[in-house]
Order: sequence, then structure tokens, then C-alpha cells
Amino acid sequence: MRMFLVAVLAMIVVSVGAYYALNTIQKPVDVAFATQAARIDPGE
Amino acid sequence: MSKLGMLTRLALLAMLAIPAAHAQPAPATPPSSVRLDAPTTGFDPDSVEVHQTEELDKNRLVTGSITLPDSRAATLIQPDGRIWRDYRRGPLLWITAAVVLGMIALLGLFYAIKGEIKIDGGRGIATLLRFSAFERFMHWVTAASWCILAISGLNIVAGRVTLLPLIGNDAFSTLSTWLKYSHNFLAFPFTMGVILMLLVWVRHNIPNKVDVAWFKAGGGFIGHGHPPAGKFNGGQKAVFWIVVLGGGGLAVTGLGLMFPFYVTNVFGMQIIQVVHGGIALAMIAAMLGHIYIGSVGMEGALDAMNSGDVDLGWAKAHHSLWVEEELAKATRPQPSPAE
Repeated sequence: MRMFLVAVLAMIVVSVGAYYALNTIQKPVDVAFATQAARIDPGE
Repeated sequence: MSKLGMLTRLALLAMLAIPAAHAQPAPATPPSSVRLDAPTTGFDPDSVEVHQTEELDKNRLVTGSITLPDSRAATLIQPDGRIWRDYRRGPLLWITAAVVLGMIALLGLFYAIKGEIKIDGGRGIATLLRFSAFERFMHWVTAASWCILAISGLNIVAGRVTLLPLIGNDAFSTLSTWLKYSHNFLAFPFTMGVILMLLVWVRHNIPNKVDVAWFKAGGGFIGHGHPPAGKFNGGQKAVFWIVVLGGGGLAVTGLGLMFPFYVTNVFGMQIIQVVHGGIALAMIAAMLGHIYIGSVGMEGALDAMNSGDVDLGWAKAHHSLWVEEELAKATRPQPSPAE
């Protein structure tokens, strides 16, 4: 049971790491698929 | 009626009258033949539809001019997408239901007939370490990730027709959003677990003659007695390779879906989605069997992944060759330290 809990904790840590890693690679949809003028918030 | 309204009506009537004046008499054949034999000149509403369909069938992609920075958005119509959409809305749902519910029904039937497979002679006092803490850790990382990936994947495929009518739009939307995030991010610990299992367990999972004999004997599930097996029996080796090859396939196709259009076009994306779903469905069926036999289906099996220690009687029954190896290791005289 202890190893199961450790595994779940590791799973969460790796998932959060993946979240931040993906955010640095993938562009938000308003940036990827729109022109500068059409962006929801051009200031960003 | 105002003057403007009257003029508008007259203009509309005139527009409708122009094509009617040029219309040719319809051939005296059934409507279905009219479509196929439609003349290529002159006005015929059916012929317009026939040409459109033919054009769509001829061209893989109908493209246009756009001002978006992504040039791939210039694909305006993709006729093959209709095949994918029809498969996604129809056959895929039935295949998913048949595989998942069929497997659950089969296991339920097997349990009703066979019941829990007991340890011969009952549990004893002696135990044997089957899996180290690290082995259990990597198994549970993979298994826990897999369970959520499977549930969230099934929701993507069939949630709209199963959950949505039960819980309503708002709850379904919130749940699906979170499940989609989980699906994306839990793919990484799952892949990590599969790679670790491959590295640690591959040497125990090379198929050999003992596995052939194990399968010929029905793995001990049919009839009485237990065929000999090493650390992993033939069935477990099959599960290992399903997880490694299937998990690898899911990771690769999953990355293709996570980074849309990076390596392929819309047609390729549809193929990737179908392959991803097919592998996942096969793995769900296999893992349901694995979960069954590792829990309610066999007494003592869960101990291997819970504490790591298994009952010696259980180990002798199901993994006799492995027990012999372990006992030989334990009784082998240790080399004396060099003086």
C-alpha cells in the first residue's frame, strides 16, 4: 500500500512537470491560429 | 404592404423565374438514375449535387486562400473526414461497447463458473519476496496512470452518449475538461512507467519453451494442476509485451495527437486517432483480464504488488521454476571474502 501511495505521488509530480514542460512548447490557440490584430489580448 | 416590400417580392420572383425558364424537361427515369445520368450542361439541381460529390471524392483536400498565420488552415474541406466522422460517431461506439462490456461479461461468467482460484492447501506461514519496492513502485505508477487514461479516453469516445444524458451539460463539460487535462498530462508518468518496466523486466519476459507448454496446458485455468513457470508465466509475459508494445504505440500516437499537424496533415491526424483508439481498446480488454486475475480471480496474487511477499505455496503452484531458482540462490554457499 505504501508503494502505491508513493507511486500516486510520483505520478502527480511527473504530471505537473509535464504541464509546465508542455506550456513552454505549445502555443495558446489565440496565438497559434490568429493574426496579431485578431488576438484576444494583443498586449500579451 | 409598403412599396419597398412589394419591389423586393417582385425582384425575388424574377430571380426564381430566370432559372425556371432555362430548365430542361426531366428525363423519364427514376430519380436515382437522374442523378447518375444528369446532363453536364444546363440547369439541373441534381446535377449540381452530383458534381459536388464527384469533386469531393476526387480531391483529397479542397484548399482556399486565407490570412491566418497557419497555412494548414487553408484546407477548407477534407472529404475523407466524412469517413472518419461517420466511423467516430457510429461503429467506434459499438466496437467500444462490445469490447469493454463484452470483456466484463466474459470475466463475470468466468468468475461465476470458476470462482476465486484458491491456494492449494491454504495460506501458509512462509513467504517469498516476489517484487522489490522499486518494482512495485513502477508497476503502480503505470497502473494508476493507466486507469485514469482509460477512463478519460472512454469518456472522449463515448461520454456524450453515456454520461451526458445522465449528468447534464454543465457537469459533463466540467468533468470532460478535467479528464482531458488528466489524459494529456498522465500520459507522461504512464510512458515513464512503461519504459521502466521494459528495462527492469525484459530479461524475465523473453518467450521460451516453458511458455509454450504453459499455454498448451491452458495456464492452469482449464482442468487441474499448474504448469511450471518461471518468474513470469506465459500469460504474464503476454501481458508484459502487450503493455510494452501497446504502451509504446499509445505514447507515439498520443504525442502525434498532442502536437497536432506537427508531422502530418489532417488525414494523418485521423489515421493516428483511429490507431490510438484501436490500441487503447485492445489494451483495455487485456488489462481488465489482468486486473481480474490479479485481484478477485486468484487468492494471494495481489500480495505480490501489495507487500511484495507472496505465500510460498502460491509461488510453488504458479511459479515453480522461479521458486526453485530462488531457493537455490538462498542455499548456495556464499564465496568467502578474500583474505
